[in-house]
Amino acid sequence: MSKKKRFGISEALTRGLSETIHVVEHHSGLFRNVVLPLSRIELDPDNPRKLAIDLIDVKQGIRPDDPKHQYKQEELERLKELAHTIQSNGVINPVVVYKRGELYRVVAGERRCLAAILAGKQEIDARIFNEKPKGFELKLIQWTENTAREDLTLDERLGNVREIIREYQNQKGPVEVNASLLKEIIGLSLSQASYYLAVLNAPEDVQFQIQNGNIRNLDKAALIAGIESPEVRKQAIIACMNGSTIKELRSMINQQKMLKKVKVTLHTSSRGRNTTKINMGATDNIVVIKTIIDCVLTHMQLDHPSTNIFSQTNWKDLRQVTRAFRKLIELLELEVVV
Amino acid sequence: MKIIAFVNNKGGVGKTTCSKLMAEFLSKKKKLRTLCIDFDPQCNFSHQYLHMEIDPAAPEGLMPPIHPDYNPNDEEDQNWDGRSSIAEIFYGQGVIPYPTYVECLDIAPGHAEKLLTAESVRRSEVVDKVHKQLAFFLNSSDVQAAYDAIVIDTAPSKGPLTISVIKAATHIIIPSVMEEQPVQGIYGMLQLWMQESLTREKSRPLQLIGILPNMFKQTRLHKDILKSLQDSPAIGKYVLPVKFSQRIVFAEVDAADSNPRSIFDFPEQHVAKAEAEEVCSHLSERIFA
Repeated sequence: MSKKKRFGISEALTRGLSETIHVVEHHSGLFRNVVLPLSRIELDPDNPRKLAIDLIDVKQGIRPDDPKHQYKQEELERLKELAHTIQSNGVINPVVVYKRGELYRVVAGERRCLAAILAGKQEIDARIFNEKPKGFELKLIQWTENTAREDLTLDERLGNVREIIREYQNQKGPVEVNASLLKEIIGLSLSQASYYLAVLNAPEDVQFQIQNGNIRNLDKAALIAGIESPEVRKQAIIACMNGSTIKELRSMINQQKMLKKVKVTLHTSSRGRNTTKINMGATDNIVVIKTIIDCVLTHMQLDHPSTNIFSQTNWKDLRQVTRAFRKLIELLELEVVV
Repeated sequence: MKIIAFVNNKGGVGKTTCSKLMAEFLSKKKKLRTLCIDFDPQCNFSHQYLHMEIDPAAPEGLMPPIHPDYNPNDEEDQNWDGRSSIAEIFYGQGVIPYPTYVECLDIAPGHAEKLLTAESVRRSEVVDKVHKQLAFFLNSSDVQAAYDAIVIDTAPSKGPLTISVIKAATHIIIPSVMEEQPVQGIYGMLQLWMQESLTREKSRPLQLIGILPNMFKQTRLHKDILKSLQDSPAIGKYVLPVKFSQRIVFAEVDAADSNPRSIFDFPEQHVAKAEAEEVCSHLSERIFA
């Protein structure tokens, strides 16, 4: 006799059913996706993106006696390009809003709202949060929304990060935000995070050029911010504004450093090649290395996945301890890039 | 007021039978003021309680009979042709429910042609003209004051009519035969449930009471498919612990001259009656908890 046939539902259908149920169980009630009349939307005056143009300008036209007339006119032209694509394709991503009295305040999607009005739309796809996002979360949403955009200036992006750090400290107390913490908060790479910190703490001349839009690249700004000598820094700023690549800037800075070092070494008697790096020495006393690593970790409050290596190290194996020590130096170089 | 809808986009899974049993249980047993709504252009649900007539304009379609309260000599009825279906909500007309032989059970019948026309409006108009209309009607203070429960039978589709039911409902139940194709219909309905849940406010969720195994036979096919749904960690908790078996008597009471007319009028010890009471009281406890 043949074996009895067994029946069941297909794997694909089981997966489909389970996934659908999961979505409802985890997402209903948090926010809802709707079509909102544009007349019920207001902009957030605290949004890190500083559009000069506002709802009234778009609806009624920019007043000729407006002090920012020229600037707003340029913004309007750029909005018209977006309006054109909205006219033909609609808004692809819904804007994010929360309810505030009778109106809905935009968390993310100012330009899309303004452009949709320009395109003559009456409604816009929106995602409504049921509650006003908390200060820190609000900034994070605006940040993630904004970093995906290419037309945000470095100054605006830095403003964003500054706000996020401020909100974070408002919520968690006065903690020092180092690169690895910043990386945790906004999900950047460690090097990006340390670049942002470096630029936020940059000398005034660098900040000034960023605000004026003369330095627009984060990597270059971080590199220049790290130059200690004001003269060299000035040269680097000029080179950057003249369009030097990061590679060119780096080699320029290195040359300057060499020159400086040559000058210094002329006065000290030394033999052999110039010293360009610090030799960390060698020891067979493991306790020395362990003490250094422990001290640094506690002091810097390093919170990085690769710090795992220290807890996994076999402290009796010299080779492993060496590797751990090298890792520490590597991490420190990233951390104290400024 | 609870708005209960039986939905599944596969036909022949027992939506009408379940709707009928539920409506009769709520009105006869629970003494709740209940309104049946027939949202299926086939009008089978309406036919259970009214002598539906052939629509001369659309020979295949049914339309409601002349309303018992219609009086052509009355001033007030001058602008009325004497028939009223749930489809009037799409045409800006009032809906006048018909009484049934059960004391607190009314029905707003279907109207084949009008429902089909509403379903075929242009895509750009569908949101305003169809999706919102049923919710708008059921949320009116007249309806809210007149009934405790609404039971809606739907068309076997995922189209605008079904969507408008999903938008209006407070509770949905998905009856399904434990066979491959009807179970696929569950997926379509869960999708609608998901879309609707993501647009609703927290205060009025759309509750999925569950998947109701219907026309169940003690065969390997039905048992295995039921078990595979129950065994899935996500789906299992939505499979109802009660079920309707395949019984010819459920179909027999649907016949026009059936006596008695309702399963609930059968003798106390009747196996089909006991089953219907078990399933319906489980559903009603969940809904009116």
